[in-house]
Amino acid sequence: MISLNRRKALALLGGTVAAAGLSTPALSQGRKITVGALRFTSHSASFIALQRGYFKEAGLDVELKFFQAATPMAVAIASGDVDYAVTAMSGGLVSLADKGAIKIIGGALSEEADIDGQKYLVSDAAFQAGVTSPAMLDGKSYGITSAGSSFHYMGSKLAQKEGISMSFKPLQKVGAIIGALKSGQIDAWSIVPHIAKPLAGSGKVHIIGNVSDVIPDYQVTTVFTSAKNAADERGMTGDFLAGFSKGVADYNATMIDRAHGDDGVNEMVDLIHKYVYADRPREKAAKSIINGTMRLNDGAALNTASLQDQLSWFQSEDLVGADITLDTVVDSSYVKTLG
Amino acid sequence: MSETSNAAEIRHVPFRGGGFAPSPRRWVGFAVFVVLIALAEIGTQTGFITPLTLPKPSDVLKTFGELYSSGLLWKHLSVSLSRLVVGAALGASAGIAVGVMIGLFSYVRAGLLPLVAALFPIPKIALLPLFVIWFGIDEGSKYALIAFGTFTPTVVATYGAVDNVDRNLIRMGQSFNLSWMSIVRKIVLPGAMPGILSGLRISLAIAIILLVAAEMLGAEYGIGAYILEAGSLYDLERLFVGVAILSILGVTLSACIGMIERRLLRWRV
Amino acid sequence: MDIRLSAVSHHYDQTEVLRDISLEIPSGKIVCIVGPSGCGKSTLLRLIGGLEQPSAGEILQIGSPPADCLNPLTYIFQDFALLPWRTVRGNISLVLEDHGIHGQAAGDIINDVLARTKLSDFADALPKQLSGGMKQRVAIARALAVNPAVMLMDEPLSALDSQTRELLMDDLVNLWSRTPFTAVYVTHNLAEAVRLGHSIMVMSRRPGEIREIVHLDTPLHQRGLGDAEMEEKQKYLWHLMREEARAADAELVHV
Repeated sequence: MISLNRRKALALLGGTVAAAGLSTPALSQGRKITVGALRFTSHSASFIALQRGYFKEAGLDVELKFFQAATPMAVAIASGDVDYAVTAMSGGLVSLADKGAIKIIGGALSEEADIDGQKYLVSDAAFQAGVTSPAMLDGKSYGITSAGSSFHYMGSKLAQKEGISMSFKPLQKVGAIIGALKSGQIDAWSIVPHIAKPLAGSGKVHIIGNVSDVIPDYQVTTVFTSAKNAADERGMTGDFLAGFSKGVADYNATMIDRAHGDDGVNEMVDLIHKYVYADRPREKAAKSIINGTMRLNDGAALNTASLQDQLSWFQSEDLVGADITLDTVVDSSYVKTLG
Repeated sequence: MSETSNAAEIRHVPFRGGGFAPSPRRWVGFAVFVVLIALAEIGTQTGFITPLTLPKPSDVLKTFGELYSSGLLWKHLSVSLSRLVVGAALGASAGIAVGVMIGLFSYVRAGLLPLVAALFPIPKIALLPLFVIWFGIDEGSKYALIAFGTFTPTVVATYGAVDNVDRNLIRMGQSFNLSWMSIVRKIVLPGAMPGILSGLRISLAIAIILLVAAEMLGAEYGIGAYILEAGSLYDLERLFVGVAILSILGVTLSACIGMIERRLLRWRV
Repeated sequence: MDIRLSAVSHHYDQTEVLRDISLEIPSGKIVCIVGPSGCGKSTLLRLIGGLEQPSAGEILQIGSPPADCLNPLTYIFQDFALLPWRTVRGNISLVLEDHGIHGQAAGDIINDVLARTKLSDFADALPKQLSGGMKQRVAIARALAVNPAVMLMDEPLSALDSQTRELLMDDLVNLWSRTPFTAVYVTHNLAEAVRLGHSIMVMSRRPGEIREIVHLDTPLHQRGLGDAEMEEKQKYLWHLMREEARAADAELVHV
């Protein structure tokens, strides 16, 4: 009873801190933590919070650790090598949560009806053959990284909505899918706009629909940590979410709402460019970074209804155990929940 | 005096020749398996080993049973086996042909040996995207990857085996005016057979490794696809089922080659 | 068919192995070549059989081989050179197959040569099952199967123990006595030379030259073990070779 009360109290404190933006000295002064990230624009909140010292203000000494794909990052969280990270709720993530290794503690990115989101794409060959809308994809092949990935979910939801059937081709890597789509080896795919748009610009690929039309309020990526951190390190976890949320707030204000005008955008592009497309010249990178702008979840708010839908889909596809509940996967005590 | 002391010390010459002669102990290997699996079962049942570290062997067996009864086992296995058979047959036969040519012709040797040496260390997996473009995302690229992977070790084993054929036997063939074709067919090839077969052992193990790699791209069914899916879902039970199937496949293939060796190489001393 | 060597010389790179060898090998006779190790005996035999080409001089066939001769110049090797994956019968049929002799015709030849070498009971054995002496008899049977004009024997008994050697020498003498064949017989063993040779060519150490050609007139079947005349000849040969052998033994090997 007592411990429950204390937890609730701490949760409240953490939540308040996250919502209000931290002004008081942090609970975990100068703690060293590791945050996992992919070199994608959607991970910008972590980069901003680090560069602008929001983590430091929250009392955390953050080191970024970069990964090539979401799965090894999830495994690194489970093994304790990384403390916090942002990724989609894949089947692997649910499986790890079921094994008591990780918890989702917040939202990072979701689809919204009025904001440019992920796109459904078809290869030029398929487009020329008359596939110009998602409904015409019946019997076509659809690229995914692996079974239970977010791509699999988006494709499957599309098939469900349009009442069609597609064959899903696991290709492991985004790069491999892009290659296969460009050369017409597969017919369709879905991806974030900053990759979709340049591909469509090349003429080898065509955009035929929006993911947000098929899956409204889709919680694309989430913030997650080890089950141990979520349960036993509530102070530190709250501090992390507070710093992260300030990064999110800055990003949304500057890139979406343009609160600081073009100068603000340029300054932020410079910051993000240190991490994303670092191998490209600034001019080219800036275009991709601006193209990739999507609204991040304010205060790391989490759409549990969307997560429940994803979990139910995994179970219907027999990808994860049928007895797993959302509570096993999500610790909703840290942030505001939607839906 | 020396007589009496010698007489007093009659004893057997101590035996010093033991050891260093492995003799078959069939049941030991089996016992090691059983003990390891039993330890894993006890560890996971008691919670000493967390489910994140290792799945319960009994759960793995159950998962295997489910896979079998769902009929998917045969579906996965049949596509994998056909990829393995077609790919390895293409790679090994091309490898033997090229290996024999390198062994026999100075120009082919001079021209191809550096090429083979250059191809050998390439991780074939790295070429998979290229194969997808060349041979298509369906079966073509998978056959090509496995074939290419088995080709180079087979070439190296074969030309080494041809080099090792007793020159005196070839000399003998020439001294009896045997035609070139007869010498190759009746002396060189049978003489190189032991080396070719032991090379095939390695090539086929590589083929199994590459099967998983080949099924990384665009495979819905197959043991490799099954393992990769289990890995991405972090489903350890399925992962271990898949790995166990690969192991069994490897043991079976090795036993098959053993049988072929016993049949073809009866003449060996 | 006779063989004539006129002024044959040979060298490998810088090393001179044979110098100015001239020799007649008359039909129906056995010519033995003896010499210290490394004197080029085996090289000379390979030159005679056309497995190598001499650097200078020429090797001539005089007259043509008999019509039923499949392979005029046929070798018998020190290491037998049997295919281990073929049976005794298979090893003999190997040399007939290329001449288009199969089935019944091949079977007749094989049975005949196996009978002549007393191997009829071992037709289906693999070489690994045979003793050294039997292996060499298989090799002799194989050579007889092609009905050679000249047999080129390269230390055929050197890999065998001394009892087996005696037995095989008897076999060779019997074979020759029944149907005389022409042979060049290379050996380092003087007892074999005086037992089997109608003439014996003694070579010097490298570069190999002819020291002397010794003729023996006693018919082969009358030369027995411990025969006084043979002993005498052998002593004489040893006397010729002794210093050469000692010097050859002290040489550094740089082949």
